Amino acid sequence: MAEMVKLFVNGEEVEVESGKNLIDAIGAVGIEIPHLCYHPALGADGNCRMCLVGIEDGRPPVVPACKTPAREGMRVQLDTDNIKKIQRDIMEFELINHPVDCPICDQAGECKLQDYYMAHDLQDSRMRVPQVTKGKKMDFGCGVVHDQERCVVCGRCVRFTRQITKTGELGIINRTDAARVNIFPGRPLNNRYALNIVDLCPVGAMTSRDFRFKQRVWFLKKDKGICHGCARGCNIFIDHNREKYKDDVIYRYRPRLNSLVNGYFMCDEGRLSYKEENENRLTATMIEGKETSFEDGIQRIQQELNQAKKPLMLISPNSTLEQQWAVKRIATLYGARCSGYSEGYVKAGDGDDFLICDDKSANRRGLQLLDIDCERTTLEQALGECDLFISFDNDPFRFGNNEELRNAIAAKRVIAISSHENTMTEISKVALPVASYSEYDGTIVNINNVLQSFTRAVRKNEERIDILEVTRLLGGAVRDNAHAWPGMKTTVEELAEVHPDRIPAEGLQLSVSEESHVSA
Amino acid sequence: MSDRSELIITGKPFAFDAERDAEFERLVKRYPIRESMILPALWLTQEQEGWISAEAMAYIADRIGTYASKVYEAATFYTMFNLEPKGQYHICVCRTLSCWLREKQEIVDYLAKEIGIRPGEISEDGRFSLEEVECLGHCGTAPVVQLNGEFHEEMDVDKMKALLATLK
Repeated sequence: MAEMVKLFVNGEEVEVESGKNLIDAIGAVGIEIPHLCYHPALGADGNCRMCLVGIEDGRPPVVPACKTPAREGMRVQLDTDNIKKIQRDIMEFELINHPVDCPICDQAGECKLQDYYMAHDLQDSRMRVPQVTKGKKMDFGCGVVHDQERCVVCGRCVRFTRQITKTGELGIINRTDAARVNIFPGRPLNNRYALNIVDLCPVGAMTSRDFRFKQRVWFLKKDKGICHGCARGCNIFIDHNREKYKDDVIYRYRPRLNSLVNGYFMCDEGRLSYKEENENRLTATMIEGKETSFEDGIQRIQQELNQAKKPLMLISPNSTLEQQWAVKRIATLYGARCSGYSEGYVKAGDGDDFLICDDKSANRRGLQLLDIDCERTTLEQALGECDLFISFDNDPFRFGNNEELRNAIAAKRVIAISSHENTMTEISKVALPVASYSEYDGTIVNINNVLQSFTRAVRKNEERIDILEVTRLLGGAVRDNAHAWPGMKTTVEELAEVHPDRIPAEGLQLSVSEESHVSA
Repeated sequence: MSDRSELIITGKPFAFDAERDAEFERLVKRYPIRESMILPALWLTQEQEGWISAEAMAYIADRIGTYASKVYEAATFYTMFNLEPKGQYHICVCRTLSCWLREKQEIVDYLAKEIGIRPGEISEDGRFSLEEVECLGHCGTAPVVQLNGEFHEEMDVDKMKALLATLK
């Protein structure tokens, strides 16, 4: 725990963490100091002057809160006439050349200029001269669209490209009221994290080409989730909306702070992976090419399982611990072998040293913890012997075909329990639609053995049940997520001390034995 | 302040000539932080070409090992860097306080009459260009005029006339 200090804000005593700057320290106890340029991931820059506060007895008379560490006994003034006037004046400066095009601006509703105007400004414009005009809807590359007129020149985007991605595509060009953010001619944004700039921008200057004009942000429901785009498990907000007479649709992912996992950011690929939750979904139960009811599908799978002598079950590295456990249990029930073979989810060499992992599945650690064999040789051997092949949402051909394996699987009686249409559903005799990760609860373990739980965000018009529920309908013993845990805790040493209903918001760092560190 | 963000792309590669190359290498040793070479390198470019193109900025960035955006920032921040070709004789008249008080406007008006160009313009024959610039740091001898980088102090219309005469 960090050392705590007592200080006074507007005369009231508060206890805050020492060493942090005033914005963060006082912000942690719910007192907001307005600021535009400061961002905890980018450090204090001190250029916007919006966070100027008075320190009684201190010199100089006002200081930027972003550059002032919290100290014992400090007397911080936020509500004096002087400070209020400074905030009002800074806002007036910011708005001199601002187009005030809020009705057509994507940022409206989550814009610091709007918020601060309401909180600290509320005055009419006094300007009677033409505004400075600048560039509009400039294509900065990587799906980032820039409006120079809306910009407050806080430099967060510039610092992001210099400090975080170290690609430095952006700069602040010109000076005085002609200053603006721009790319160097012919050198547009070119990094895999560029869309974070859109979140970082406190105003509507940086917008995402993908999200522009799709939704007003106040209509979006912002639920917490975890990105399943790779093994990092970045924490996200799933912003979705059910428009009248339509289905619940996800419109964007945004990174959610988790210092244990992803910090403030996420990669663009993961951010845009929300589309996969909306598109190409398996919607109908299919038996031998004919659409049928879900109940008939379950019944047929049960029949197949009862007739099969040597079934083989393929578990997905994207499924939750509970789902994987439930499938493992039902495999035992039907005397089936199970495999977690999923090299199809690995893009070797695609990862980097920041967030992106080679492994494009969210819970491979889960397979390892539950001791589910992932070897290709074991799968091939089992495949040779089996007479029924059931995939529980595992698509071995996710990134590229493998003719040999495809033929080997297609030669069997194949059942694909799947959230999406893919090669497996194509070659299956029975295809059963199930929920995808935005539509169920569960627990996953990321590449660094951080155990995280997430809850359901989206409710489709046609609700689909998840894999665990499917195993229950097939006669499995695991009733629900909570019911999976006693069994997992007794079997898996690393999970013995885990209380599933008490997993911290930031996740739980598992101490995993060396042996299980060896992975694909 | 005018917008200087539109760079001219010549389509031709840029490199320092042998003399500037040697000078660059001599100067770079002075700076513990290599990025500090941005301004000297911009000066060298301007000395060589008379102005600075997009290609030259990219060259400087790559040569120093910094982001092109940083060179772009510096070159557009400081108005003494020419971002377009200037006349054979580039005249800068200081427009800051001391020079203004000591009638820099008379010189500007004289040049407008004599050569027919206003600040920011180039004469049709390409021989002259005129710029009003911020403080040149010679306030004690205001008003000052720079001709191709050379200072001429305590100027007035007569002296300007004499100076132009030497150029014809």
